[in-house]
Amino acid sequence: MLVLTRKVDECINIGDDVVIKVIGIDGMQVKLGIDAPGNVRVLRREVYEKIRDENIRSAKGNTSAFAKAVELFKEQEHTPK
Amino acid sequence: MGFLVLRITSPFEKGDGGGFLKERKNALKLETRDFGQVEIDETRVITMPAGMPGFPGLGRFIILEREETRPFLWYQCVDDPGLAFVIINPNLFRPDYLVDLGAALRDMSWRDDKEEDLLVYVIVNASEGVPEKITANLIGPIVINTSKKEAAQLVITGSPYSHKQLVFQSS
Repeated sequence: MLVLTRKVDECINIGDDVVIKVIGIDGMQVKLGIDAPGNVRVLRREVYEKIRDENIRSAKGNTSAFAKAVELFKEQEHTPK
Repeated sequence: MGFLVLRITSPFEKGDGGGFLKERKNALKLETRDFGQVEIDETRVITMPAGMPGFPGLGRFIILEREETRPFLWYQCVDDPGLAFVIINPNLFRPDYLVDLGAALRDMSWRDDKEEDLLVYVIVNASEGVPEKITANLIGPIVINTSKKEAAQLVITGSPYSHKQLVFQSS
């Protein structure tokens, strides 16, 4: 892993389009500003992992539940709210 | 899986909901995870420039709809026959569910487009195999830009929504 030292207000470029700026430091917390194009996904790592893991679980083909699920939807449509 | 009437729908056509593939001009044969080989109209392919977390490099999808599994839709990857998601309109079970589409337009460099051009679906997880345990990921909706034929999986942070929202609330 590349390790760089930066001061507040200094930046790091990743490729041509991604800029990470150190906005401020407060004790153990670092505030970063990130400029990136729309096709670059910028997420906190733990959020990224949550979405990734749920995507992987959802992609496991288990279609057995859907026939009955469709019935449940139809029942709900006919149930007065 | 036996004979299936496969309806290839497109969010890009109003009226008949896409209908069956009428023109053969842009027909493309596609292997699918759950329905064998189907013919799709390649103008209905949706591109995801940022892909989906967990599936790098797989950025082209198509929506498949079958009469008998409606309102669930299949979000089939065009690049990998083995990859498909089941998606649904979240407002069918969470009428109050809202996504900040203005932010989506900004974040995705879709600045020229309007919120009316966007469709929101959520991914369904049915890995438990029983309908009562089907959940939907409300923090990672798929937003489809119908005018650009692009889509993105948004990530909604700081919201009250769950990534494992039960689709059928026990009453």
